[in-house]
Amino acid sequence: MTPNFAVLALLDGIAYASLLFLVAVGLTLVFGVLGILNIAHGSLYAIGAYVAATLGQWLVANGYNPWLTFPALFAGATVVGIALGGMLERFLLQRIYKKDEVLQLLVTFAVFMILENLQRMIWGVQPYFMSTPLNLLGNISFLGINYTAYQVLFLPAAAIVVLFALRHFLRHTAIGAQILAVTEDREAATSIGINATRVYFMTFVIGACFAALGGALATPTTSLVTGMGANMIVLSFAVAATAGLGQIEGAAVSALMIGVARAFAVYLSPELEVIMPYLIMVLVLLVKPNGLFGKDTARKI
Amino acid sequence: MSDYSASPLLLQAEGLKLRFGGIIAADGIDLSLHEGEHLAIIGPNGAGKTTFLNICTGYLRPQGGSVRFENREITAQPPRQITRLGIARAFQIPQLFAEQTVLENMLLAVSVRERHWNPLRNLHAVPERREMEGLLELVGCSDVRDRVASELPEGKRKLADIAIALALKPRVLLMDEPTSGVASADKFDVMETLMNALRQAKVSSVFVEHDMEMVSRYATRVAVWAQGKIQTTGAPEVVLNDPDVVRNVIGG
Repeated sequence: MTPNFAVLALLDGIAYASLLFLVAVGLTLVFGVLGILNIAHGSLYAIGAYVAATLGQWLVANGYNPWLTFPALFAGATVVGIALGGMLERFLLQRIYKKDEVLQLLVTFAVFMILENLQRMIWGVQPYFMSTPLNLLGNISFLGINYTAYQVLFLPAAAIVVLFALRHFLRHTAIGAQILAVTEDREAATSIGINATRVYFMTFVIGACFAALGGALATPTTSLVTGMGANMIVLSFAVAATAGLGQIEGAAVSALMIGVARAFAVYLSPELEVIMPYLIMVLVLLVKPNGLFGKDTARKI
Repeated sequence: MSDYSASPLLLQAEGLKLRFGGIIAADGIDLSLHEGEHLAIIGPNGAGKTTFLNICTGYLRPQGGSVRFENREITAQPPRQITRLGIARAFQIPQLFAEQTVLENMLLAVSVRERHWNPLRNLHAVPERREMEGLLELVGCSDVRDRVASELPEGKRKLADIAIALALKPRVLLMDEPTSGVASADKFDVMETLMNALRQAKVSSVFVEHDMEMVSRYATRVAVWAQGKIQTTGAPEVVLNDPDVVRNVIGG
């Protein structure tokens, strides 16, 4: 492997890790607070991508300023996160919080299957492209390697902003403190007047927005195909489990580990690419069953 | 002992009934609390005393009877609603949020009370911060203000828990063995501070208690709860010397 390839693999890895983190952090936040492992998180990722692509294509086709595709990515993600995520929580999850974990898993899996087919009905099975934002930002040169600025600058920047904003929100704001309180002890939180139902709703919508944002920001870098949601939910679960479920900062580290390892596998031994994330997950969990940053009982998020 | 029956009625339970399987916790409980009172509930273990607190705060729905607060029906209303109306609760095990500091616990409570929903507002910047520091002063917890709740000695944890309850500006505080778990040498100091804080904040209270010395010093009235009924109620010096009570509850 030449140094050039190493740099290329590293950049690939960082770009991919940024998207992985966005999705995984939503999954882990929802699990940490609500205790539900939401398989339909993958659907929110895919639908976020499709909606952002559709919106972007429409803007370009109608002759609007192509730079508007950037806000379109965020707008699409937010709409999907709030509308679809909000409905899921309000009409479905709220009824099953007290039920068995296996049932919760099955319900979110069923939602995932339904949404998967809904995507096929709406967007068909042909691949979608919407690379305008990628083209607009152009290429930059890094250690002699040309790479798209969108992937090596914009995506990591978005991931870092999300990481620090979420950290700040949870640790330093009044609402964040309410979320932490409900996570630690729902009954005690209720006894000081916190509306736990509303906290759950809000947390789920935030997590859903991150999934949809991951999808929307992935749109310019890849063609959207059916089954992308399934790939992503499995991968982001691997990231969350490697970090320790509920670990937000940990998800960033393990997304980076898995993203970079996967990219190197592509160059070194492509046949390992698919199993690389799970290999890392298994190795980590063998040594640390609660994940890299997971604790037995302490803080859940 | 002064008589409070003339002061306004705060809490009124009538005919409360609740059984769990074969165990009768409440079998027609009538109990009331007037403003300024500090009512102690005593009785054998497992008699249903804590159940009463759980019914008043909405965590348990009685199978019969009703609870009224300031002449308003609150039976089986959601706990959060009841907290908002003015009934706060301190648990046998203090329910502080373990990884936050004492002050942050207070700021959280007050930001819920004041409905601070601005997601960008820093917890430490809430306008009621001074008020909260005052409450910590009142319960003698200023020295542990910035310590993480899980590291506090038990006595301080109890008092900080009371401060959090007071941050909600309640009219009534319900307490389950307020000094349990506190080293016996410190028990009366903790209770003294606690009751002084309640009097200054003009909060009335109901507390479940097993220590008769505590009851006789701090309760304005005592209710004896046994076999799902209030056996007797009255001034501590009368009730605690009642031969029946001594034989069945205190003497054991």
